[in-house]
Amino acid sequence: MAAIAFVLAIAAVLFFWLTRPDPLPATAIPVREVDLRNGETLFRAGSCLACHRPPEGGPGAERGLPSGGRPFPTPVGTFYPQNLTPDAETGLGRWSEVEFVNAMKLGISPSGTHYFPAFPYASYRAMTMADLLDLRAYLMSLPAMKSASREADVPLVPLARRAVGLWKRIAFRRPPWSPEPGRTPSWTRGAYLVNAPGHCGECHTPKDRLMIEDPGRHLAGGPHPGGEGKVPSLRGLLARKKYADVADLVLALQNGETLGYEDLSSGGMAAIQENLATLPEADVRAIAEYLLSLE
Amino acid sequence: MRLSKPVVASLVVAGLVLGASLAVVAADAFQDRHMAMETVNDAAKPLFDMAKKAVPFDAAVVKANATTIADNLKSAATLFPAGSGGGDSRAKPEIWTDAAGFEKGMKDAHAAAVALQAVKDEAAFGPALSALGGSCKSCHDKYRLPKK
Repeated sequence: MAAIAFVLAIAAVLFFWLTRPDPLPATAIPVREVDLRNGETLFRAGSCLACHRPPEGGPGAERGLPSGGRPFPTPVGTFYPQNLTPDAETGLGRWSEVEFVNAMKLGISPSGTHYFPAFPYASYRAMTMADLLDLRAYLMSLPAMKSASREADVPLVPLARRAVGLWKRIAFRRPPWSPEPGRTPSWTRGAYLVNAPGHCGECHTPKDRLMIEDPGRHLAGGPHPGGEGKVPSLRGLLARKKYADVADLVLALQNGETLGYEDLSSGGMAAIQENLATLPEADVRAIAEYLLSLE
Repeated sequence: MRLSKPVVASLVVAGLVLGASLAVVAADAFQDRHMAMETVNDAAKPLFDMAKKAVPFDAAVVKANATTIADNLKSAATLFPAGSGGGDSRAKPEIWTDAAGFEKGMKDAHAAAVALQAVKDEAAFGPALSALGGSCKSCHDKYRLPKK
């Protein structure tokens, strides 16, 4: 009996040690001028609003503000995305720069708990510090909306949250996306937008049993996270004659089904396409160029 | 109440026939609307090619294809009886839980196709086609499952 209790105690200590959040210190944040325009581009590239928009009639809904709270169902449970407007009590108003960076890069909340990876920080951790600070500055420039966050409907929330620490240890063993040498600036920009802020792999890359993206099948499509149907592969788009060339895919991303690209209003992609359509044309072209290079 | 064996047997048979008929109606509806939607898609393709300037603008083709689209959308709207989702169908349950919204979406799409029929010149064509595509999009976004 005592032996069992001893083993359990050791296991508990080990669990808490292995799952401890390890945030960056405030000194990790460089002092710099923020670029609100760049922040807005990243907000669109990440389609933040696709998940963080409020329910119909919710705070700021008619103005397209990311006040959060719309249920986000997943096979694991239902999540309620955070209010991203600068309200002091319910939004990001009191978040310091380093707190924002820790949330985006490490999935750690200002109170030091782990976020569930339904919030796709596994992709966002590849974002540059400069981009993260610009994105935060853009969010802070939005009108503040009051919309309290709601705890996820997941079994055993506090324990599950803590256990995410173990998940991160495994998931973060793979280095985040980084530029490949010898690529054109446009390709690199496209790859960055797709893999870091765009977090396309969160749906388009199949995940293993631990819900970690399978690097061997990067952007190769898989089951739809909503539970029914499939997410298409983004590889071999040219060989499979899905798009004729870069210009064709640019038109598709900019117009979606309003120009007949009906695959782009399937499985929740319409909201993503509408966000991508607002990006500067050079960025849309960069995304298309990168995607069509995937064989 | 006591029912004789023949009565029970007849009721069971009637029930089975009714159930089977409903299943056939649902399966037929799925096949028919799928055909209608495919026809819409086939008729829309040359128009989108025109909008992309891959082929020259041709008012006669626009009128003919817009008519095909309008007619098929009109019949498709009647081909969503309750219980005809599931299986290979990409119909979302919202078609029936939000029947009013779905009906309005189909009506809007039909109206957009009718408006496209009346287009005479290239300047009016682009916006009219976008409006039709937009109506397809808003319904597909809300009421259509991803590919299976």
